[in-house]
Amino acid sequence: MLTALGAGWGGLPFALYRSRPQPVGFSHRVHAGEAGSKCDDCHGFRSDGSFTGIPTLDKCAGCHAAAMGTTAAEKNFIDNYITPRREPQWAAYARQPENVYFSHIAHVKRGKLKCESCHAGHGSTGQLRPYQEDRISGYSRDIWRGKKMTDCVACHLQQGLEHSCLDCHK
Amino acid sequence: MKLSRRDLFIYAGGSAAGALLTPAPWRLITDTALWSENWPGIPAPPRGEIRTRFTNCSLCRAGCAVRARCVGDQPVQLAGVAAHPLSRGALCPFGLTGHHLPFHPARLKQGSAEQALGAVSAAISDAGSGRIAVLDLRPGRTVSWTYRRAMAKLNGLYIAPGQSVAYDLHQAKTVLSLGVPLLDGWGTPGNVWAARPGFRLIQAEPIQSRTAALADVWLPVQPGTEDTLALAIANAIENRNGDDERAVSVANELTQNGPALVLDNYGSAAVMALNQSLGAAGHTMVAMPEAPVPDTWRKAAPATSLAQMEDRSIGVLLIDESAVDGYLPWHTIEPKLVRDNPVVVTFASGRGGYARHAQFALPAGVYPEFAEDIPTAVDSPAATFRISTPLVAPPAGMVNPAGFIGALAGLPKSDAVRERADAIHRAGRGTLFTPADAKTVAVRDITAEAFWKSLSEAGCWIDEAGNTQAPEAQPPESEPWPSGSGGLVAILSAQHTPPLMSPLMSKVYQESNLRLAPNWIALHPSDARAARLENGAEAFLQTRLGKCGVRVAVDPAVPAGMVQVGTAPGILDVCGPAARAKVVAV
Repeated sequence: MLTALGAGWGGLPFALYRSRPQPVGFSHRVHAGEAGSKCDDCHGFRSDGSFTGIPTLDKCAGCHAAAMGTTAAEKNFIDNYITPRREPQWAAYARQPENVYFSHIAHVKRGKLKCESCHAGHGSTGQLRPYQEDRISGYSRDIWRGKKMTDCVACHLQQGLEHSCLDCHK
Repeated sequence: MKLSRRDLFIYAGGSAAGALLTPAPWRLITDTALWSENWPGIPAPPRGEIRTRFTNCSLCRAGCAVRARCVGDQPVQLAGVAAHPLSRGALCPFGLTGHHLPFHPARLKQGSAEQALGAVSAAISDAGSGRIAVLDLRPGRTVSWTYRRAMAKLNGLYIAPGQSVAYDLHQAKTVLSLGVPLLDGWGTPGNVWAARPGFRLIQAEPIQSRTAALADVWLPVQPGTEDTLALAIANAIENRNGDDERAVSVANELTQNGPALVLDNYGSAAVMALNQSLGAAGHTMVAMPEAPVPDTWRKAAPATSLAQMEDRSIGVLLIDESAVDGYLPWHTIEPKLVRDNPVVVTFASGRGGYARHAQFALPAGVYPEFAEDIPTAVDSPAATFRISTPLVAPPAGMVNPAGFIGALAGLPKSDAVRERADAIHRAGRGTLFTPADAKTVAVRDITAEAFWKSLSEAGCWIDEAGNTQAPEAQPPESEPWPSGSGGLVAILSAQHTPPLMSPLMSKVYQESNLRLAPNWIALHPSDARAARLENGAEAFLQTRLGKCGVRVAVDPAVPAGMVQVGTAPGILDVCGPAARAKVVAV
């Protein structure tokens, strides 16, 4: 029993998840702190209200066409991505399964939620942690470790807001 | 240490028990379920560039402007266009879910056009097999003109049961509606609701429909007595008095709070005469306007009604039910067909309509798969011209009805919609609204190319105001339904229902009884008890013309002694307005 408990609790995460690093060493702390950027400077909304998610290379190139600092990470980014115009293959921690729809604009603009309400301290991290992919389902580990459906429902109940299956599950 | 068999069992049992206390088995169950969601063949939302495209909804002749949010080439959300001068940003539930229709499971996908063409050609060449006719369930389109031109070449008949009158609600101060679902899909939803604050609505209807509930006055009437009420009101207007107090009251309101307008579902002569006496003709009620057409098209077969045709005279009947504004019951069509082997070909999106009676049911494209213009809406006194721009590609094997019938008559292949757009531009009248920039320009200020480009991007041409042509009285499409005696009196749901509707919409909209589904009937609880039927039960609706399988909704809003019936073609084939019907359990 002890063996099974040890394997189940300790070994499962290593066996089930495949870790891979993000393509670029990116610091939210530097951008949000020293550079003074706000979340929606990079993660904004399109004219039709849809969420842009992770910014594309064009957005990054707006500031980093030439080096702004002296760090090796920035030099690597410019040499390997900006200059050859190669889009970094970011892995989105919070990408939901295909049958789940989440509207950022409804929560941020209408609900006036702060980004930190759901993404906690992600905006002040010094480096991007490795992306962990479930070997079986192919989804990010964060969709279970981060905010779950029960958290959405709990918040809606707490705020006295209506909710139904078809709001999110299409 | 020596391991015994018992030790192994204990070890295995302990491991199994221990495993159940870890996340491993539960995690594996969940992950396996998620993994199965992404198996090959399971549809997944597309990923791609998000962009906005525009079209006009062709599910009914309201032709509301549609803004489609697309991921790549796939529309994923439809919404209205707020700045549109006619539809004003509104879409009905059918329109909001129109992008689901290409994937409808009941869609007709197979049918041999070659075999149908062979059978039709053989019947045409056989001199004794009767005439050829086209039944067009949405007249006024450019394809309608193609049918008329083809019938002129083939000495055939063009049957068009469509709308011949248009109404101007914005000019009316009082509206008497005789069972018309004015606020529930009758006209262009945005336009009707924009006009609604300006008129007082009197709804005469047997049942308190949603329009009746939202009217200023609801007059409950017996089914089939709408014409009698119209005659009584006309009599009260003419004689300044009458025996029917209710009719006198309505007459006073119509005459004292004009301009007034009377609407009905069947274009009856009594209602037409009442509108004449109220001064509505040529003012709030005008002849259905139509966009200009090329002069060369004018040598076309005139529109004919079934009532004007000789019995047993049609040998080949081609039915375009790819776009439907109404349904002619089969018992009114069948007597017009020759007795021996008539050839009936229908172009349809599903098997529920005339496909049940046709030798050949050929699959036609559905909205929003094909480019087609939309005729002027019933609530637009000025002619309009809009194109339903395709948002998705049709599947292989779809048959174009205009191409089929045009080829039969040997009409030269051409882009008829473009030719008509050029004719409208040459006329130089009216304005053009373009949804992408929400701008309106005068047609005379733009080139023909720019006009066509805007129309191709869901632009809307609106003719100049000032249509004062009074409508002509039309002969009825068929004989009035005999009133008979005994049984329940049928109330026909007058709402327009497209042949296909989104399964998702029917789930949230019809199973909750917000709207009677096409193949359902509704009974008062006492009538349901007498027939030993419960809510949701299967039953047969029987009339003198036959019976039809239906589902039953028990609804206390339906008066006792009456049965409200849906609009499925199977029901309409056996049941007409104020018909006497029986409902029996299966």
